[in-house]
Amino acid sequence: MQWFDALIQGILLGGMYAQYALGMALMFGVMRIVNISHGDLVILLSLIGISMASAWGIGPITVMVALVPLAVLMGWVLQKAVLNRVVGSDPLPSLIATFGLSLALQNLMLQIWSANSRSLPGGGIESRSIEIGGIYIGLLPVIVLVVATGLTWGLDLMLKRTRFGRALRAAAADVEAAAMTGINPRQVYAVATAIAVGILGFAAVFQALRSTVAPADGGAQLIYAFEAVIIGGMGSVWGAFAGSMVLGIAQAIGFRIDPGFGVLAGHIVFLIVLATRPQGLFGKA
Amino acid sequence: MTDTSLSPAAVLPEVTVHRQTLSGRIALTLAALAVAGLALMPWWASTGTIRMVLELCCYLAVAQMWNLLAGYAGLVSVGQQAFMGASGYALFVMAQTFGIDPFLAIPISLLVPAILAIPCYALLHRLDGPYFSIGTWVVAEVFRLVASNMGWLNAGAGMSLTVMKQYSAFERNIAMSFLCAIMVLLTVGGSYWFLRSRYGLALIAMRDNPVAAASQGVNVARLRFLVYVAAAVGCGLAGAVYFMAQLRINPPSAFDPRWSNVAIFIVMVGGIGAIEGVLIGTLIYFIAERWFGAYGASYFVVLGILTLLVALYARTGIWGMISKRWDAPWFPIRRRLVDTNR
Repeated sequence: MQWFDALIQGILLGGMYAQYALGMALMFGVMRIVNISHGDLVILLSLIGISMASAWGIGPITVMVALVPLAVLMGWVLQKAVLNRVVGSDPLPSLIATFGLSLALQNLMLQIWSANSRSLPGGGIESRSIEIGGIYIGLLPVIVLVVATGLTWGLDLMLKRTRFGRALRAAAADVEAAAMTGINPRQVYAVATAIAVGILGFAAVFQALRSTVAPADGGAQLIYAFEAVIIGGMGSVWGAFAGSMVLGIAQAIGFRIDPGFGVLAGHIVFLIVLATRPQGLFGKA
Repeated sequence: MTDTSLSPAAVLPEVTVHRQTLSGRIALTLAALAVAGLALMPWWASTGTIRMVLELCCYLAVAQMWNLLAGYAGLVSVGQQAFMGASGYALFVMAQTFGIDPFLAIPISLLVPAILAIPCYALLHRLDGPYFSIGTWVVAEVFRLVASNMGWLNAGAGMSLTVMKQYSAFERNIAMSFLCAIMVLLTVGGSYWFLRSRYGLALIAMRDNPVAAASQGVNVARLRFLVYVAAAVGCGLAGAVYFMAQLRINPPSAFDPRWSNVAIFIVMVGGIGAIEGVLIGTLIYFIAERWFGAYGASYFVVLGILTLLVALYARTGIWGMISKRWDAPWFPIRRRLVDTNR
């Protein structure tokens, strides 16, 4: 029973990680870029949300309504101002640029919000739970998982069915060939990054509701997103989603074994997958 | 065939290969003096200065290792602190737990990063480009978490190097100074020697274009592996020396990502893919740290933005700009052919 409970909690935790991982999978798939400030953007958005909530006394849903468009805008600006200049076959410039950005963002947040951990008051929703067969399931983690599933489904549908999705997949497969057919890669990239960071707007609200955020937490979020993408296998958003579940379960079971072992258990599963199935559990060989 | 003009001796002019330049000779003399100055620090510097210089030398060593990795081998690591902490801990365990002389323990402790680097690379090289970088970070995190959970490393509380009490302050100063000199000689001097060797030629070819280098017979995969292990050992040396001087080690300090931040700043601002760039970058970082270090977080905001701007607008860094204008390398590695008949 204990382990079944850990399994359920792990899947719910995976819902949180999926919200980080989707954007990373999308950006890497399209541009072969990893944005090192990915996690710092989540934290920045969370802290902005927390400040908005306390300054204007608004609830978490209103915060989300305000935060997601802001995140989309941030992603678009990030692409236009930084990433479009460094996208290319050499991974070094984009890594260094986003690394510098991450360092600057982290310390800027430290200046503005200090090193304290904060969280977003959810008006009681964060502590409500439902009991099913002796297992208590938090209402908020369920909402997180449902939203994560919805986002994955929506993103997958967009990639498969819409005109923009086709353009995006074309640009991912071969930028030059896509450009010849009239697609503007820079425009596609800008929208992709806007979507990727936009999803982080959801993640930021849920992260701040579920637990606490502090300026130095971004690195861990980046690593979880990355591990989820690699475990799941590159090339599909459902892969990233499934990888998040595996990571969440590994961590939840690890925490049950020993509280100091939780995060490490996630890393170990990641390393095992890398050693035995480098294309990811659900990736094509 | 009696036409001798086609024979190789007649076609090829007589040439000699020149490697050294005037600027190189001057720089080499200055570098030798600097290393001697480092070794003789106890006789001209205070303990505070020696500690400061030791930290500077550690930054220089780690930055040069990062330069080899990212600048030549195309391996952008953000997790070299894994190997610094590993050898630091190895030193503390050997000296403190097993009673081995700390100065003897330093060279032995370098085996630990060398051995650990092999499985790490075996796993990480499967990751594509930018994912490799985050993978190195995960490895550093794994090392930190494992150290925090290990009882015989005293878990999260860390260890102290109390055995150093058996040496007088002056003896410790001599040791620190000699270690600084050796570290700089091995990491910077060793890199220079390596780059001038046959492997260096292959490495430079790989820096410019890995695919073309492979087509010319360079074993890119093996060279990358060698550079990764060498960089792990170099960072390990810096870690062992740094934590010996600190006399304390704990998981957050041993595996501090700050080392990667600083190494990347130094190499990118100074100039990637050149030893001169690392020297310039280290000097800039050191001066900035003295002048603005007190500003804490806002100082790191500026470092971050500078790194970002260099990546966007001036990818070759300061040394790149200098060497475009004046062809006067401090550590020349090019081979120039000079016609001896002229």
